[in-house]
Amino acid sequence: MSMYNYVFRRVGFMAVTLFFVTLIAFAVTNILPGDVALLILGPNATDQSLEALQTQLGLNRPLYVQYIDWVVGLLQGNMGESLRFGEPVAQLIAERLPRSMMLAVAATLIAVVLSVPLGVYAAINQNEAPDVSASMFAFVGISMPIFLWGLVFILVFAVWLNLFPTGGYVSPSEDLVGSLTRLVLPAGAMGFALTAYIMRMTRSSMLEVLSEEYINLARAKGMSQRVIVLRHALKNAIIPVITVIAFQFSYAFGGVVVLEEVFFWPGIGRLTLTAIQSRDIPLIQGCILVVALIYMFSNFAADLLYAYFDPRIRYGGDD
Amino acid sequence: MSAPTTATDREADDGPLLDVRGLKTEFRTEGGPIVASNEVSFSLDRGETMGLVGESGAGKSVTARSLMRLIDSPGEITGGQVVFNGEDLLQKTEAEMRDIRGNRIAMIPQDPMSSLNPVMTVGEQITETIRRHQDVSKSEARRLAIESMDDVGIPDAEERIDDYPHEFSGGMRQRVLVAIGFSCEPDLIIADEPTTALDVTTQAKILDLLNEMQEREGTAVLMITHNLGVVAQTCDHVGVMYAGNLVETAELGDLFDRPRHPYTRSLIDSIPEVDTDYDELPTLDGAMPDLGDLPSGCNFAPRCPHATEACRTGGDPSLDAVGDGSSRAACLHADDLDLSESTVPEAGAGRRDIDRTGEPLFEVRNLKKYFNAGEGVFGNVHLSWSGGGLPTVERRHVKAVDDVSFDVYPGETVGLVGESGCGKSTVARTALRLLEPTDGEVYFEGQPLHELGSSEIRSLRREMQMIFQDPQSSLNPRKTVGQIVGRAMEKHGIATGEEKRERVGDLLERVGLSRAAASKYPHEFSGGQQQRVAIAHALAVEPKLIVCDEPVSALDVSVQAQILNLLNEIQDDENISFLFISHNIGVIRHICDRVAVMYLGKIAEFGSIEQVFSPPFHPYTESLLSAVPHANPDRETDRILLEGSVPSPINPPSGCPFQTRCPKKIGDVCEQDLPELEAVDGGDHYISCHLSDEEMSQRESFITPSKRAETSPADSD
Ligand SMILES: Nc1ncnc2c1ncn2[C@@H]1O[C@H](COP(=O)(O)OP(=O)(O)OP(=O)(O)O)[C@@H](O)[C@H]1O
Ligand code: SF4
Ligand code: SF4
Ligand SMILES: [Mg+2]
Repeated sequence: MSMYNYVFRRVGFMAVTLFFVTLIAFAVTNILPGDVALLILGPNATDQSLEALQTQLGLNRPLYVQYIDWVVGLLQGNMGESLRFGEPVAQLIAERLPRSMMLAVAATLIAVVLSVPLGVYAAINQNEAPDVSASMFAFVGISMPIFLWGLVFILVFAVWLNLFPTGGYVSPSEDLVGSLTRLVLPAGAMGFALTAYIMRMTRSSMLEVLSEEYINLARAKGMSQRVIVLRHALKNAIIPVITVIAFQFSYAFGGVVVLEEVFFWPGIGRLTLTAIQSRDIPLIQGCILVVALIYMFSNFAADLLYAYFDPRIRYGGDD
Repeated sequence: MSAPTTATDREADDGPLLDVRGLKTEFRTEGGPIVASNEVSFSLDRGETMGLVGESGAGKSVTARSLMRLIDSPGEITGGQVVFNGEDLLQKTEAEMRDIRGNRIAMIPQDPMSSLNPVMTVGEQITETIRRHQDVSKSEARRLAIESMDDVGIPDAEERIDDYPHEFSGGMRQRVLVAIGFSCEPDLIIADEPTTALDVTTQAKILDLLNEMQEREGTAVLMITHNLGVVAQTCDHVGVMYAGNLVETAELGDLFDRPRHPYTRSLIDSIPEVDTDYDELPTLDGAMPDLGDLPSGCNFAPRCPHATEACRTGGDPSLDAVGDGSSRAACLHADDLDLSESTVPEAGAGRRDIDRTGEPLFEVRNLKKYFNAGEGVFGNVHLSWSGGGLPTVERRHVKAVDDVSFDVYPGETVGLVGESGCGKSTVARTALRLLEPTDGEVYFEGQPLHELGSSEIRSLRREMQMIFQDPQSSLNPRKTVGQIVGRAMEKHGIATGEEKRERVGDLLERVGLSRAAASKYPHEFSGGQQQRVAIAHALAVEPKLIVCDEPVSALDVSVQAQILNLLNEIQDDENISFLFISHNIGVIRHICDRVAVMYLGKIAEFGSIEQVFSPPFHPYTESLLSAVPHANPDRETDRILLEGSVPSPINPPSGCPFQTRCPKKIGDVCEQDLPELEAVDGGDHYISCHLSDEEMSQRESFITPSKRAETSPADSD
């Protein structure tokens, strides 16, 4: 199987997954309690006006018609119009998504930069003091829910130490420094929470690789510890870690939804919350779809990277 | 083999290349310290080859790794000297050692599959060694790497240098490891079981390569192996290890002609000769003591036929010169004992006659099994983008078993032998319907297995049992041995309750375990004992046929013979038939009545052991037999080394499957026509080859005629 075949098949699977995602997004919003028309018009609306609005929004058509309609619209790049904001959903999402992306990417980067060296360091000092303290550090990260970490970070770094602002968002194109200083706390809190998994995975993967025969041979060839760890071991050990990182990235995206509230970060998380609170069905559907797409693509990217790093997969399996 | 070094040569040099004095390596374990290498002393001259032999766990690898200071915690070198080129390596710093490793002393490891880094190209792995130790540019290192790949016989080195290890066959990977080992022209190569993981034909080629490289470069080699055949073929002198001690060192010839230590004698006697018939294979009884719990006197005393009271009470005998020869032995009685005679009873009667007049018990006709190439539902769908335009879709198959026919009679053992990947195990699994056959017929006692439904098959399973290579993975770790064996009886309604317990006990005794073993768990047993449990489990349902898939390949040599004897004994008592799968033609020789030699999913030759081991030979059988190393240094075998490696079964060669490697290939006929499996001289000996009988009979029998004459008239039971 060549790389082409591999990608070809993965894309096929993605298309199938995507179909189910649209089904779910559609189903979820349609079993949500609360009448949209009622929400829009308020409790004092007459039955007549409610019905008129329902007809106008197409809400009283059979479900499958509504679904097909929606999908056809999606295929034409039309995600509908937000009931709440009266703007195209696509435009709303396009505005918020990059901000959330920025947060999630920064959080993942911080986590990787912290956890991979830490995991390697722990592995080469297995069961000794550095290993134990590194593991403890990582363990602290997952000992509390993400939003609590957000609050702790605000309390320590913003309120007590007064190093960073407590929240808010500034576009990097307007004020780069201001933007970055506001990014540090939410991304740091998020990244810290992600560190534990990646570090543990790096550590166990490294330990496994370090006991392989080819590491023994590398030592017998006179390679230095540094070369053995970086060239021989890490390149192998990182392969399973990549999947975890990609998975953590999608996890970070989930965490972002919560953290955006804590840090007043106007991203897709807050948009989703607003959409749900106002039963803004087209917007909810759009948000679910986009978040699911990001999940899928980060996993796809993980697989491609995996294939890139592991030549056995690149060329179709070790017979 | 390197030129023999004379005593004067040695004196002329300023000391030996390597002089190990009192080397001691210990491991700290929970049960106290283990001395894996105890006061080991030996020396090795330039260009010389020394063998290090002994059972598993004797401390061979630990000793070798200690020489390179590659012992990890919890292990530690606690004493002695390793004088190499006049300097004590144990005094050097780690940085100085790194300059020596791979440069002056290199290692060739055992397992070609796991010893190369899978994410680095073979070129990177060779050049990094060169660049680490020699001050050369990148392109110069690459040139040297290509040269060294050429030297070890890797074809198209220039194109293949950027390939990854998984793109090479096992034999080719071992060549890459040899190339890495020799890349900096070291003074000493430590080869730890360099051929154990390989098929015989590949093993022979790698050993030849090692000898050739050594001669060319004048390198000294420390060859670690448990195979005395390999030792006899490659070494100048030999060290024998037992329980962490070096118990004998001797010149190669002396070791075999006049061993000085009783353990050496037992080790030599435990090797079955390919050309000898045995009633029972010679074995090395008992087991090496646990290194954490050694007896107070001589470590070998519990197994030694010559042990006296003095042996059991005195300390460890030291390794001293014996008599006037060059041998040294660690035995109190070395000077008095004459161990030059083998203790193995002379050749026995060989195997019984099998009555093949009735119905066969098991018969396979034109069996085929094709696998999809690739994984998953669409795995074999292959898109090819060649020629531009739309990709074309094709389905590809691995023809693992392609038109195989044979039969097994009651009480008979039929062997399937061939190199890895030739389809042996697939034949067995497909024949038992563990896999669905693609085509063909299978009969058990006349019933057509290929037509039966799955419930009928299940009830027939009782009659057909299977024993696998790795006993550990086939026994449920959470059940006691009693439960494992008893459950089989219950499932097929053979016995329950008290009767079941009674029978389990009997069975365990039958396979050489104690009744008490029933309450233990599989992990509490050694590999050999676990295989005995697996045999008891198979016997529990009183089958008529047992398929044994490489049943002894995972076991230590000294244990293999015990298991083979057990299988033979059981067959004599119960008249069970065996279908016996092995890549080891020596094992096949001693356990089978008839054998099918397989190559690339097809049978190349089929007949009795006598027929297959004597002319006429299929060219493949001939090369397979010629490649078996003999544990006899005086014996010169004219080995046939096959070119290339086994072709891919996805894309097998046209005509005769062996034509790409056949040393006797005729020409176009072989490339165009598939030879039929035909009876030679009208008998029941079948060969699939276009050659005439005369052309296939140019070599003598591998079963010595004199021995045959001795044994054939003997009355067989
Ligand atoms: N890391 C370790 N920790 C504890 N004991 C060890 C360790 N490595 C080896 N040993 C012990 O040292 C002894 C010698 O082992 P070694 O690997 O040298 O045997 P060997 O002769 O090479 O056997 P084989 O033929 O199976 O390769 C064994 O008893 C083994 O259990
Ligand atoms: S010292 Fe005694 S027990 Fe040990 S090998 Fe010699 S004769 Fe046997
Ligand atoms: S048929 Fe030809 S190629 Fe095949 S084994 Fe015979 S001689 Fe060799
Ligand atoms: Mg070993």
